[in-house]
Amino acid sequence: MTVLDTAGAAQGTQAGQTNGHPHVSIFADRCAGCQECVVRCPEEALSMNSELWIAVADETKCVGCRQCVRTCPFSAITVSGPLIVTARTAVTTQHPARIEGDVSETRSGFSTWDEALAEASRCLSCPDPTCVRGCPAHNDIPGFISAVADKDLERAHTILRRTTLLPDVCSRVCDQSAQCEGACSWSLAGGTPVAIGAIERFITEQAPVPPLAKTSSAGDDLSVAVVGAGPAGIAAAWDLASAGAQVTVFEKDDNPGGLLRWGIPDFTLPEAVADRAWDQLRAAGVTLECGKEVAAGDLDELLSVHDAVVLTVGAGVPMRLPVPGGDLNGVVDATSFLHASKAVLDGEATLASVLPLVAPAAGEAPQVDRAATAGAHRILVLGGGNTAMDVARSARRLGIEATCVEWLDRRFAPVRPDELAEAEAEGVEVRFLHTLVRLEGGDGPAPGTATAGRSTVRRAYLATTIQESPTTLPKVQRAKPVEVPVDMVVMAMGYRNDPDFTKVLPGTPLKRVAPAGVPDRSWMASGVLAGPASPFAHSRPVGTLALGREVGIQAAALPFRDRLFAAGDAVVGPSTVVEAMAQGRAAVRSLLASQPRRPGRPTVAPSRVLVCYESNGGRTETAARAIAGALTGRGAQVTALPLKRVGARELAAADVVIVGSWVEGFVVAGVHPARRARDWLAALPHLGGKKAAVFCTYAVSPKAALAEMAAALEKAGADVVAHAGFSRNGAPSDAVGFARELLALCWPAGVEAQRAQAAAAGAGGTRAVTR
Amino acid sequence: MALSVQEEATRIADPVPVAVHLRPPVRKGVTERFSSSDVQPSLEVTRFPLVARLIRNRKFQFFLILPNQIVFWAVVLLGFVGTADPGLNFGTAITWYVWFCLVFVMMVVVGRAWCVMCPFGGFAEWIQRRTFWKRTQKSLGLGRKFPARLARYGFLIPVVSFLILTWLEEFFNIAGPGNPIATSFMVIGIVASALVFFMVFERRTFCRYICPLSTLIGSVGSMGSVAGFRTKDREVCLSCTTKDCMRGSADGYGCPWYTWPGSADSNLYCGLCSECYKSCPEGNVGLFLQKPLTSVVAPRRRRIDVAWGIALLFGLVLYQQFNATNVFAAIDNWLNTELHFPQYPNPVDYLGFIIVGAALVSGVAWLVSKAFANRSLRFDQPGNFIEKKSQFRTYFMPIAYGLIPIVGADYFARQLPKFLKYSPRVVPAVMHIFGFASAKSSLFHLSIMTNGWIVFTQVAVIVVGTLASAWSMWRITRRELVSVSRGHIGIYMSTLAIVLASGAATAVLYVIMHAAN
Repeated sequence: MTVLDTAGAAQGTQAGQTNGHPHVSIFADRCAGCQECVVRCPEEALSMNSELWIAVADETKCVGCRQCVRTCPFSAITVSGPLIVTARTAVTTQHPARIEGDVSETRSGFSTWDEALAEASRCLSCPDPTCVRGCPAHNDIPGFISAVADKDLERAHTILRRTTLLPDVCSRVCDQSAQCEGACSWSLAGGTPVAIGAIERFITEQAPVPPLAKTSSAGDDLSVAVVGAGPAGIAAAWDLASAGAQVTVFEKDDNPGGLLRWGIPDFTLPEAVADRAWDQLRAAGVTLECGKEVAAGDLDELLSVHDAVVLTVGAGVPMRLPVPGGDLNGVVDATSFLHASKAVLDGEATLASVLPLVAPAAGEAPQVDRAATAGAHRILVLGGGNTAMDVARSARRLGIEATCVEWLDRRFAPVRPDELAEAEAEGVEVRFLHTLVRLEGGDGPAPGTATAGRSTVRRAYLATTIQESPTTLPKVQRAKPVEVPVDMVVMAMGYRNDPDFTKVLPGTPLKRVAPAGVPDRSWMASGVLAGPASPFAHSRPVGTLALGREVGIQAAALPFRDRLFAAGDAVVGPSTVVEAMAQGRAAVRSLLASQPRRPGRPTVAPSRVLVCYESNGGRTETAARAIAGALTGRGAQVTALPLKRVGARELAAADVVIVGSWVEGFVVAGVHPARRARDWLAALPHLGGKKAAVFCTYAVSPKAALAEMAAALEKAGADVVAHAGFSRNGAPSDAVGFARELLALCWPAGVEAQRAQAAAAGAGGTRAVTR
Repeated sequence: MALSVQEEATRIADPVPVAVHLRPPVRKGVTERFSSSDVQPSLEVTRFPLVARLIRNRKFQFFLILPNQIVFWAVVLLGFVGTADPGLNFGTAITWYVWFCLVFVMMVVVGRAWCVMCPFGGFAEWIQRRTFWKRTQKSLGLGRKFPARLARYGFLIPVVSFLILTWLEEFFNIAGPGNPIATSFMVIGIVASALVFFMVFERRTFCRYICPLSTLIGSVGSMGSVAGFRTKDREVCLSCTTKDCMRGSADGYGCPWYTWPGSADSNLYCGLCSECYKSCPEGNVGLFLQKPLTSVVAPRRRRIDVAWGIALLFGLVLYQQFNATNVFAAIDNWLNTELHFPQYPNPVDYLGFIIVGAALVSGVAWLVSKAFANRSLRFDQPGNFIEKKSQFRTYFMPIAYGLIPIVGADYFARQLPKFLKYSPRVVPAVMHIFGFASAKSSLFHLSIMTNGWIVFTQVAVIVVGTLASAWSMWRITRRELVSVSRGHIGIYMSTLAIVLASGAATAVLYVIMHAAN
């Protein structure tokens, strides 16, 4: 590999860094020779001293990326000295000279191959790439960067297509500093990361994203409804269509795209890019029904005519700040403002017709110098996040003065740093550590508004706040609030889920939740969770954030009800385009594998069985294996795993879940499944109608242990079809008998014969049946 | 059973592994490095399901610590409220007549057996982990790493703290035993310093780098027949990419002793806490027995800190023998008068004697290296204290390791009189707590052996230690010194002579001590 190697070192010198190589010290007392660093060093600078069995470093090869420091389990390595890497290739930001009415894209990508190649050469192609974990879709970033380095755009697109359907969109709208670039090795080492987003954008600008192609026949006879045409809906429709399914997408707006279309203004995501995916989807035969709103109550009807439904309705209910005067005329939410401003900027409406309060008087043209009109048209945007920036920057393009009010500290605010810089460059005033206390109306209603009769907002009162750390909420100061004259107030503090839909999606949070418990082992080993967060990522713990996003993808991979899947903001609450897309794909992968059939069509026998067990002395494990063996013989695809290795992923990949445990307790005092099994059952995710069975091994009596296990599974939405207890004196044939009972219940006779035939034809055969 | 059960859920699409291309681990030299010290599969204790279940249980270590915890808090309490007669106070009786001797027995038989049940580190660890036995994910304290500048002296720091503690013990006559309250203060001091280190540093930094007993238990313990927790199949460990045994998993903590079962070559660093056994997802860690002296003879990597530690510990135990003689009493009194130091032991002769003892061991090793080293030997490995190589170290380290059995035997023999004379006093001491017994009790005056027999036993222990040392030294010489020396007979003879001289010196000192009594 060695993309940089000595050349990188030489360029590093040119870039104004010190001539010397980093100094690597390996602490011989504590180095246990485990080679975690050796296998992960991108430059092969680490090898082993076979006599002492400790790692040794070749400092002339070291580029200072400090992956060894992050991954050493015993903290036995320290690296000091410079990062040997060239300076990041800058991309330009163009602000229009005259901002009013100009919706041209502000950020641009690399314009020449030289720029792209220079940036690609900064990538270390890390053996354990942390950027891939930082990316919510887990794009193979070193893979496509090396394809760019080889000038092989086709390969780059092939690599991207494995994990993403919207590379052109994501490269523009993702906050890379909190995702891939924040998790780049250079970033974690305190340096400037590879411009991953810009390289991805370069790929899509040099070669268009390939059209939808049919890649499998997994969904050939399926008819699936997708509710919502946003990023999650696009991903779901795309993967369903490429598997051959008949897809109908319902969209409540007049145009598809959801947030991509109206939520993200054209100066960040041009309309042509936002529409690209839908143009390709329509060309591939996906049926799009715009202007059709599907309510939560309509789902049953949809499920009766389609084999499955994917719910991608987003989280579109705007949050409002409950302040005195919040119901005044002229206080609107971000959704309505962005819809209106897009209509005006697209030339589909006039400012006066959609936003009369801030429209100039008839005949007056928008003016560059607002001071001349003495602040006649001012909006106050509540919030300092990305939506607030979009609102404020759109307002500037309408010729309106905009002030954002954010109660968090600038250092901790969840806003893209580049977005904030651009907004401020465009004349948006962002007041951090301020909060709105109350609004007061002026004299009489504004002319020509539908809500005439209420008085119109004229004055806002702002108080200052103080925030000490990113984890504490700001405190409002007691000083007298400052009065600010306003013509309109836009509440852009964020969104939340539609409560109607959260009712049909059990377990979905209104807000994001952090994962509990032990992080995945390979994530810990990669080093992405270690160390202080980098300055590039604005001290955000990128690894922890990335791990949190896994929860959403795993939740989307599980059905919420029989044949009902959901993805995107509808599942995890307000999040990002790339997460919605990744979840949409995860949901469809599970959907296709589970082969759903609408009522009236012949059902397909479940084929994937997961036998999971909590065993202590080994009897439960033996029983589990006997059941697994008997089912395998009948052609089912069986996985047997101990409970502690079964997570949402494993559950998502199973049609039938069989749970076994030993029991503890005394007959007189009550018998329960083992503590571990109880904890596991209590933490089950939604299983949406998956078939399940329970068994236990016992010494004297299982008492109510089986009922307890069945109840826990049913609470998670599983359909428990069978249960069995195996006593100490029982024969192995008991388990086989239970398996036979299961076969009869889950695999109807006709289908079973068909399955057995198929299995006999394939590898494995029916050998174990005669056991 | 002929099953085609899919063990792993390989069908689950996870794009992350697709992008991960870890380099293959280095396997070159593994066999040479570990073949001599690797354990025999037949000696795995965790093969037995009952043992496996016991050790897999998270409460395993807690229940080993608990009884000691109770006893040592009783020791502290009784030092304050119990009788001032050290022979009749349970605190002093159990600590100095029984415990200290038992610790040595455990060292010689098992290794770090005391470490797994130690109430001092155990107590601090409970607080650090905020639990008695559970696997918690957040620890209390600052979690710092012990600075490399100090940690590079590895097992030498515990030797220094042992020298300081022993001097304090002699000065205040704690282990004599003297006033029981002194024992209480000593225990409190150890617990408090353990707590401080556990709160500032991560894992068992205290036990590995500070604890006064660490080097003694580690080095003498390497005679023991428990190899500790080791890998069953090194290939599984090499290809493991998560190293849960070092980082910790949901079931167990990462190794508190900074040891990786995959590369452990002796029981020196294994605290037997079983966390790696619990956390290994592959079940590839087992508890193994080994033949006695294996960890003295077998390890390929010799540690200079351990070698110096043994030399200094040898000096200390020789001092403790010598200080019972009339000659020493005269020297100490003279020095105290000259230096205006109030009482025995004078720090100058204390340190002086120990340093002379260590210098003797290292000096002899140096002479052997000068006399026998191949002229063609070249040492191109510079570095700091822990990693430097030199001609002197090439000889000193194996020779020091070869002396471990004698040093161990000497420490053990040194504790024997208290045990053999006074251990029955524990019974009246227990009864005294409840107000039953007194110094008139017949058990109070009962001894297991008379003085003459005690000296005989001590000399016998030394003879056994010398034989063990001679055997170890012969094996070590054959493997490590012959290849780097001219004159093979000469090197065998001189290392054997070192063992015999050390054995003779210690044995003679016991006889003289008895005469002095």
